[in-house]
Amino acid sequence: MSICAILCPLLPAVLAATGPFGLDLAGHPVRQLAQANTRAVVLFFAATDCPIANRYVPEIEQLTRDEEQSGVAVWFVYPNPADTAEAVRAHRARFAITGNVILDTRHTLARMAQATVTPEAAVFVPGPTGLREVYRGRIDDRYAGLGRERPQATHHELQDALRAVLAGQPVPSPVGQPVGCAIMPLEHFHR
Amino acid sequence: MLTGYAEPRHAAESMKHLLPLRAGLVAACLLCAAAALPAAPAATAISAGGPAAAPNWSGQIAPILYANCTTCHHPGGAGPFSLLTFHDAVRWGSQVATVTESHYMPPWLPEHQGGAFADERRLTPAQIAQIDRWVKASMPEGDPAQAPALPVYRPTWQYGTPDLILKVDQPFALAAGGADVFRNFVLPYPLRVSHTIRAVEIRPGAPEIVHHANILIDRTASFRRQHPDNWQQGVPGMEVEIDAGNAFDPDSHFLFWKPDSPVLVEPKGMEWRLDPGNDLILNMHLKPSGKAETVSAEIGLYFTDELPSKQPMLLQLEHDSALDIPPGARDFAVEDSLRLPVDVELLGIYPHAHYLGKRLEAWAVLPGGRRQPLITIPDWDIDRQSVYRYRQPILLPSGTVVHMHYIYDNSDENVHNTHSPPIRVEAGNRSEDEMAHLWLQVLPVHTPPGGPDPRLLLEESWMRSRLSKEPGDAIAHYNLAASLAGQGRFKDAIAAYEQLLAAHPSDARTLNSLGATFESSGDWQQARKKYADAIAARPDACDARFNLARLDLRHEQATEAESQFRAMIAQCPPDATAHSGLGVALSGENRTQEAEAEFRQALAIDPDDSTALHNLGVLALEAGDLRQAEAQLEAALRQQPGDADAHQQLAAAYAQSGRLPDAIAQLRQAIRLAPDQPEPHASLSQALAAAGQLHEAITEQQAALALDADDADGWNNLGVLKARSGMAAEAREDFRRALQLDPRHAQARANLDRLPPG
Repeated sequence: MSICAILCPLLPAVLAATGPFGLDLAGHPVRQLAQANTRAVVLFFAATDCPIANRYVPEIEQLTRDEEQSGVAVWFVYPNPADTAEAVRAHRARFAITGNVILDTRHTLARMAQATVTPEAAVFVPGPTGLREVYRGRIDDRYAGLGRERPQATHHELQDALRAVLAGQPVPSPVGQPVGCAIMPLEHFHR
Repeated sequence: MLTGYAEPRHAAESMKHLLPLRAGLVAACLLCAAAALPAAPAATAISAGGPAAAPNWSGQIAPILYANCTTCHHPGGAGPFSLLTFHDAVRWGSQVATVTESHYMPPWLPEHQGGAFADERRLTPAQIAQIDRWVKASMPEGDPAQAPALPVYRPTWQYGTPDLILKVDQPFALAAGGADVFRNFVLPYPLRVSHTIRAVEIRPGAPEIVHHANILIDRTASFRRQHPDNWQQGVPGMEVEIDAGNAFDPDSHFLFWKPDSPVLVEPKGMEWRLDPGNDLILNMHLKPSGKAETVSAEIGLYFTDELPSKQPMLLQLEHDSALDIPPGARDFAVEDSLRLPVDVELLGIYPHAHYLGKRLEAWAVLPGGRRQPLITIPDWDIDRQSVYRYRQPILLPSGTVVHMHYIYDNSDENVHNTHSPPIRVEAGNRSEDEMAHLWLQVLPVHTPPGGPDPRLLLEESWMRSRLSKEPGDAIAHYNLAASLAGQGRFKDAIAAYEQLLAAHPSDARTLNSLGATFESSGDWQQARKKYADAIAARPDACDARFNLARLDLRHEQATEAESQFRAMIAQCPPDATAHSGLGVALSGENRTQEAEAEFRQALAIDPDDSTALHNLGVLALEAGDLRQAEAQLEAALRQQPGDADAHQQLAAAYAQSGRLPDAIAQLRQAIRLAPDQPEPHASLSQALAAAGQLHEAITEQQAALALDADDADGWNNLGVLKARSGMAAEAREDFRRALQLDPRHAQARANLDRLPPG
């Protein structure tokens, strides 16, 4: 613990160029997050039962459509053990989700991105040795805390981060913490 | 802090060196995961301060959740997830700990006021600490056999099958994303009879997206008329303005839905009324959920045969005109006060502001100077707004002054601020505008007998208060005048209406009301003039046309009345009273057939139009169609049981059918309703005589003559009754009296001659 408390904040988050990173809905390992022409990978940590994460689905879907041409690959990542392929399929149908899905059954991505709640986003850019994390945090500032909600967001931090990445600019870090539902630890499922 | 995992964050772009790929990945994650897990031991260390074992779900946590959370948080409930099972509790445990600690949940905004409010939802500090300790101890289940029984929630109407269900006409499609939606749906009351409502239940359709809902009663369908093109789809807006119509029938009930209170049951005696033509307006605050939703709200109404015995009233403090909040202002204060002119009991309170409201406070200063706190909301949040009802009504004696003091925060520090950067904000109906309202539900008490309706005095006080803030407030001015007229203070009311007309000279409604006030004060010439002015100002001033025509009828100007009623039929929406009024006018011109057609037309519009029923009954009676006459008059009396003339007419029909006891009963009713009228006594005398009850018949005829001593026929009839009773000498006096009044009264002369000489 002590090692991590000191070191973790300093450790860069890096993803291997090839997986496996989790499973797709058919149960096959996902090996590639980025194609040859991908300029940025967005992981959107989602949960079928989290109301706040669900409220962001339309925005993420919009982002997926808007940025596809710019070489941005968006993934809906489901880290919670209860979100099985069947549950996620139903969720996609209910929320009209069309984006790519990964079931993060071993928390490979959640750990790598150091995501703690849904909704939370991480942005990676391809580098010579793999994918380097350049942003992790909230989607925007709509929620200042559980029960402390703006009528609408005033800072769209994920979007700003992507814009910076695509413009080759330094990526600003989020000002506030992500707000939502805790990602469930795997051990809770095994009890 | 949201989870046990949260670690200090680092700025991604500040990381300069990359670790070798695989190694870096594994090392980082293993260490982080290891770091995250020992949260529980840390908590154990905290709880080691006390000897108690860690709480478990079965023994300590489930009872707290069942008593405070699961009314909303159950499958199908209004909460966004369930907290019913152990598995649910574990899934949401860390959030539950966070939101109970922050007092976001259970939703309850007011400061604790010694348990003043009914249904107060608030966890004790011990309960909050217990949840926290349970989460930190990794949420043990305990012995499931010890867990309390699972609460059962009905998936359907909580209060049983309603007597009437109203549905929104067109389901509303709420987009998956975007800002909150405030929308007003109109649900017309479809029945043709009035009902007393003892309870109402709102089923919003998709409870998880409905934050709150409020029902308003639109007695005149005015909102629908304001929005002829879109009322069926729902009208956007946070507040609605409703035209209360001409009768004094102030709003009286908070019909406020929030997720944990789907059924509103009124206390006995305080039920409310719905009449044909009323609309219910469902004002809903909808929060997009991330998926497209269809909102198809239903309102269940529960009837009672009892009539309400108490008349509460809603009063409002407000100061919207003071809302001009500069950007950046953190503590912008708005105040209002209202002096109560009568003793009332305060039953409930509803503070209301939009997103800039910060601290909302209300209190009363009693006549002796004592300060009575009413409500304090230290951290306002429109998303959790509610009506608060007092556990025990608070007595506020006459002379009490109620105060409101609201603080607004238009800075960036207010997370609810709709603008970043902040902009100047004034009062308005949109969510980004602001409001400063405090509604009170009061019940007048200790009302002295014989005085005016205490609600009129409250209305007067309220409207004077509004005018002191906004002298040009035409609605307040009008309501003030109407409240004075209602109290019978016609001179003051006329002055108030005339003052309003000085600013709005051609306002047809004011002219009409001024006319009605003149009419009530006995000045029918002025009344006639004002009605005519109203019609000149607006040819579709239907109330004024009706009043003018009715006034002409009353003063036997049937031709003028006829033309007014015809104009009303041409200019105004279908109205049974216009046709039945025209029928009366035509009867006055002896155009019986045309009159009958109009009465039938009136009944085609409203089968319960009592004027048409009454007059058709009279026409049938005159035509000798006794069965028809009886049926129409009986129907008329069901609508207007206090119509003495209809009782008399029905008595005549019964008497002609040989139903003397029924006729006598009807006449006794007529006498009870109109004790100073001689006619019913005279008719009753005739009916009693026909039934062989000569003695009673004489008494009734004497009663008739006591009310009208100049009735020659009456004296003649009394003489006949006495002669038949063998009282020849008295009979002679009566016939002579008749002849004194009318020397050419042939019957009296003949009767006098027929008496044996005495």
